Amino acid sequence: MRFTYPADGSQLDCDVDIPTGMRTVVFGPNGAGKSTLLRLLAGTIGENPWDATYLPQTVYHFRGSAGWNLGLGLNAEQAARARHLADRLGVGHLMEATAVSGGERQRFALARTLARPEPWVLLDEPLAALDTQDRINVARVIVEAIGDRSAVIVTHDQDAAVILGQNMVVLIDGAVHQAGPIHEVFAQPADEAVATAVGLGNVLDGIVRATEGPLCSVASGGSAIWGVGDHELGDTVRVMFGAETVTLYAGTPPSVGSARNAFSGMVTEVRPVGRFVEVVLDAGVPIVALLTPGSLEALGLREGVPATAVVKATAVRVVPS
Amino acid sequence: MEFLGGLLADAVRELFGFGAELRRILFLTLAVAGIATVIGVLVGVPLGTWLALTRHRLRNTIDVLVNAGMGVPPVLAGLLILILLWNDGPLGSLDLVFTPMAMVGAQALLAIPIAAGVTAGAIRGLGPAASEQLIALRLASYRRGFVAAREALPGVIAAVAAAFGRVVSEVGAVLIVGGNIEGETQVLTTAIVQQARQAHFDSALALGFVLLIIVALVNVALGRLRSV
Repeated sequence: MRFTYPADGSQLDCDVDIPTGMRTVVFGPNGAGKSTLLRLLAGTIGENPWDATYLPQTVYHFRGSAGWNLGLGLNAEQAARARHLADRLGVGHLMEATAVSGGERQRFALARTLARPEPWVLLDEPLAALDTQDRINVARVIVEAIGDRSAVIVTHDQDAAVILGQNMVVLIDGAVHQAGPIHEVFAQPADEAVATAVGLGNVLDGIVRATEGPLCSVASGGSAIWGVGDHELGDTVRVMFGAETVTLYAGTPPSVGSARNAFSGMVTEVRPVGRFVEVVLDAGVPIVALLTPGSLEALGLREGVPATAVVKATAVRVVPS
Repeated sequence: MEFLGGLLADAVRELFGFGAELRRILFLTLAVAGIATVIGVLVGVPLGTWLALTRHRLRNTIDVLVNAGMGVPPVLAGLLILILLWNDGPLGSLDLVFTPMAMVGAQALLAIPIAAGVTAGAIRGLGPAASEQLIALRLASYRRGFVAAREALPGVIAAVAAAFGRVVSEVGAVLIVGGNIEGETQVLTTAIVQQARQAHFDSALALGFVLLIIVALVNVALGRLRSV
């Protein structure tokens, strides 16, 4: 599919495959054009709407009871399904209420949207108005209700993307920077903008010192890093890899198997990131690794402790800078 | 000051002295303006709702027509109806010139654009989130219009009040198509004109009071409806 949409002087110019039968997350910073893309698909702007059920970013609650709002546009069978979904989303007891909170409105709107039978499900920030502890439960209901239908879900939130998505499109400044399986996008961001947007990346600058088949070795801050990329010797390049692709060892491991990159140094920082922990290792260059709190404890890692970071070369992307 | 005070006292006396004639004028005023308002609302509110929601290519043209219609001088609307209804006009065979029916027609012509314009403004004023949600609900178009107008109910009531206010207080249209025939097509505004022309200021003022009270009562009633 291809879109060019002028709005407010901005330009949305996308050319992207969105697979059917999967949940595709459109991810990107605010103002990237995600909602515009979804509006085009839903047909609230533009000319060619898909056959879709659509949850707008700003949920609008009409005058009247929550139950009346829930049933808008639904036939009897769909309304029953919506009531069932509202129950599962924890708002089933509020049918008669006329004053409901933002999070409750969001749930009613979600129940109504998901109860519709259209083959495409378009959701704009479906978890945005919800408390952190409710998100997992709501996400589970969303995934179940979508079933084997196709879905496009817009979010600027990493957790929501990981929970809800199978496929991922990264949209920045109205342009698609990367599209693919969600794990792939997180593990191997296509460029620095994606790495910054998905927020899990190590991004380092350096110069190509050696090449070998699809790999090249980049000198950066006294370390040599092997990664994937076709470059000439002496090229100035940027190296990037996801923090979750880094394996950490306490001290120095006897062997790192097939991995090309092993960086030894001192832990300089340990910081919580959502439900995970990021560990920064000074190995001439700073290396960021994403761990669970459990792994951190098992390894006994803390600031000032020696450690080794290991990364497979195939998880490292080398791009021109 | 003395002159004004005396006039007011005379006006109040006049009010009770009018008797049957006043009742007839009052009845015709309410009937003509009331029916014209009902027609104006029945046509104008759906038209305004459609205008606010549609992406039809004629929307902008009709928008301009409605906005222009909101400002049309009543005497011009009356003239148009008069020409239509005149002996050799397209509707001359109906023989409606100088009848209450013709007055209803002319006032309905004035009420429709007001009702449509105020309704469209109220629905557009619901904001982008509401209009997007209305599309996302995928309702049949008449249902969508109903939900939108229901949501903008205070604005729709304001449209009714504006339409009634415009027709009950205008003089040009009813004068030109009705002819201000005493006992037949005379309404409050045209009676005021006649009394003033004959320098019966006390009578004119008394009728003015009545008109003011009608407008006030209708607005109070509609205001109550709005807060429901």
